[in-house]
Amino acid sequence: MFEFQRQHPIAAISRAFGLIRGNLITIFVFLIVGARSESFPFLTWIGGGFALLVIIGILDWWRFLFKVEDGELHIKRGIFVRKNLYLTRDRVQVIDISSGVIQRLFGLVKVDIQTAGSTSRAALIEAVPQSTAQHIKLLLSKNGENGTEDETQESIEKEGQTFGLPGKDLLIAASTSGRFGIALSILGTLFSQIEPLIRESDLFEQLFGMLPSQTDGFMIAAIIVLFIVVAWLISFFSTLFMYGDFKVEVREDELVISRGIFEKKRITVPYKRIQALYVTEGIIRQPLGFCSIYIDSAGYGDEKGSGSIVLFPLLHHSKVHSLLQNLVPHYNVHTPGLKPPKRAIRRYIIRSAFFLTLITSILYWPLGLTNWIWLIPVISVWWGWQKYKDAAIGWDSENVIIRNRVLSKKTAIIKRDRIQDSSVSSSWIQRFRNLCTTEVHVASGDHGSSFNIQDIERGDGATYLEEMRKERYKSEEKEPATQLEFSLTLPAWSENQ
Amino acid sequence: MDKTSSKKLSPRAIGVWRLGNAAGNAIFLGIPAVYYSVFGLNSFHFWIVIALSVIFLSFWVLSVFVIPPLRWKNWRYSIDQDEIDLLRGVLVSTETLIPLSRVQHVDTRQGPLLRWYGLSSVTISTAATTHEIPCLDQVIADRVRKEISTYARLAEEDV
Repeated sequence: MFEFQRQHPIAAISRAFGLIRGNLITIFVFLIVGARSESFPFLTWIGGGFALLVIIGILDWWRFLFKVEDGELHIKRGIFVRKNLYLTRDRVQVIDISSGVIQRLFGLVKVDIQTAGSTSRAALIEAVPQSTAQHIKLLLSKNGENGTEDETQESIEKEGQTFGLPGKDLLIAASTSGRFGIALSILGTLFSQIEPLIRESDLFEQLFGMLPSQTDGFMIAAIIVLFIVVAWLISFFSTLFMYGDFKVEVREDELVISRGIFEKKRITVPYKRIQALYVTEGIIRQPLGFCSIYIDSAGYGDEKGSGSIVLFPLLHHSKVHSLLQNLVPHYNVHTPGLKPPKRAIRRYIIRSAFFLTLITSILYWPLGLTNWIWLIPVISVWWGWQKYKDAAIGWDSENVIIRNRVLSKKTAIIKRDRIQDSSVSSSWIQRFRNLCTTEVHVASGDHGSSFNIQDIERGDGATYLEEMRKERYKSEEKEPATQLEFSLTLPAWSENQ
Repeated sequence: MDKTSSKKLSPRAIGVWRLGNAAGNAIFLGIPAVYYSVFGLNSFHFWIVIALSVIFLSFWVLSVFVIPPLRWKNWRYSIDQDEIDLLRGVLVSTETLIPLSRVQHVDTRQGPLLRWYGLSSVTISTAATTHEIPCLDQVIADRVRKEISTYARLAEEDV
């Protein structure tokens, strides 16, 4: 460990695959364009491309050296530009040892070392034997000096309570996932790319020949149904693979979330990094009584820089409280709350319906649409009313709970001492109606995320700000100035409690 | 907000905004001009050119003569050792509360226009958002920055 050493050679392949995955869209476009021109030496290019990737992978592996010395991880890497990365023991927050498909084939593991900063957040050693990984972990953990026996002992003790996702719930999650729309759009793009190809070949005519004669309308309907089915299947399986083997493990001061069938993902979230928690009830899932739980974490999240992490992909809303009690007890709270006044209904409905109605009316005559199209404005009115119905805010001396709906109903619990800023705004129409909008920002990943509620009483907004302003840590004996009307329970908090 | 402890921006801000908007929004006046050069002045296009000119000209006049004083009038800020309070906005008025313990860093910034007027703006960043107190007198801006960073240091805490 005190000498520089290389990763297992398989890291080269892993790296090459990583490159392929990272440039998937480019490669795909390249393939489609290539396949369509006749003069293009297709296979040569593809072969050359892969060879290049493998060579890059091998060079990358060759140049990647790491050692741990005096509690400091030193990584040297880079093909042309040499990069030196030093991570000291004190800065290391989390060491995640996991394995992907390639690693598992060869009995290797991946070591992911995360530090507190958000810019240089991680060092990743792609493929090493399990023993090396344990050794690195031991040398880099805070009490690593004490020797080997202690460490192994401790890691066994640390194993905490684990919560998994039952198979039935996983199936429900997969079949109701919101990834459906994404799959559909990907499919649409793909189809638009491939369609000329099919048209040129004989395949298209053969297909037409096979089908019994029918009208164009039927054909279009059939294609649409086919699309939806395929998109649904894609979303079903991608969710299945993503959340398969889902586990949350509760440790002394952190949560370890692992998921994925082919590609294992492990996320370690220290409790003190959790900024907010929210429960979402999707449009399809809500009628079935299911919801999912997310957390916003500071500094560390997914690759896109957003700090939202799935804490639990799907559970029945009656189990939310018990799960929260087990996973994050301090987020299992009830507070008194209040709703927007009745006169705000109109604004909620206008906001969601106005543009949709306008667009529908403009398009109705020129396009000669059927009268069924008027369902869209009707649905949007209903949607606005739903948004009104779900909006609520509540606070006590430690928490703020905000619930709203965009498409899915979202209930956020935010610790007051985690709030980055809170603001109350009112447009001139709102001022006229004596209403206001309240917004809260919390840190989440590299940016932040915000939760808001529209059109509550202006006085309530002012009171809310006033409450936030109070000496925030010693407001035990202070009663809320407004009468908060009902108790908010999560996620299906009801008005009549 | 506590009106007694709240402060206003430098009155020179009005001048800065006027100049800035006059120059910046002049681009919009180009739209009817471009439309005219493309389509000419036939009976139909004539009215469109007129309508566009009226709309953008009145917008320009508003943004230069009416909005800046109103904006200045509505801007207030206050800083104490617990939080920063910003109150602003003409059409949409917004009050923002930033706990000082959340402040990550404070900067003063000065563009050419602000330098010309001897002003400077203070930018306050939290882990999630960035806020700006625009157009303060240079000396005051520096004082505000120092004040905030002193308080923020007192309220040291993680994330």
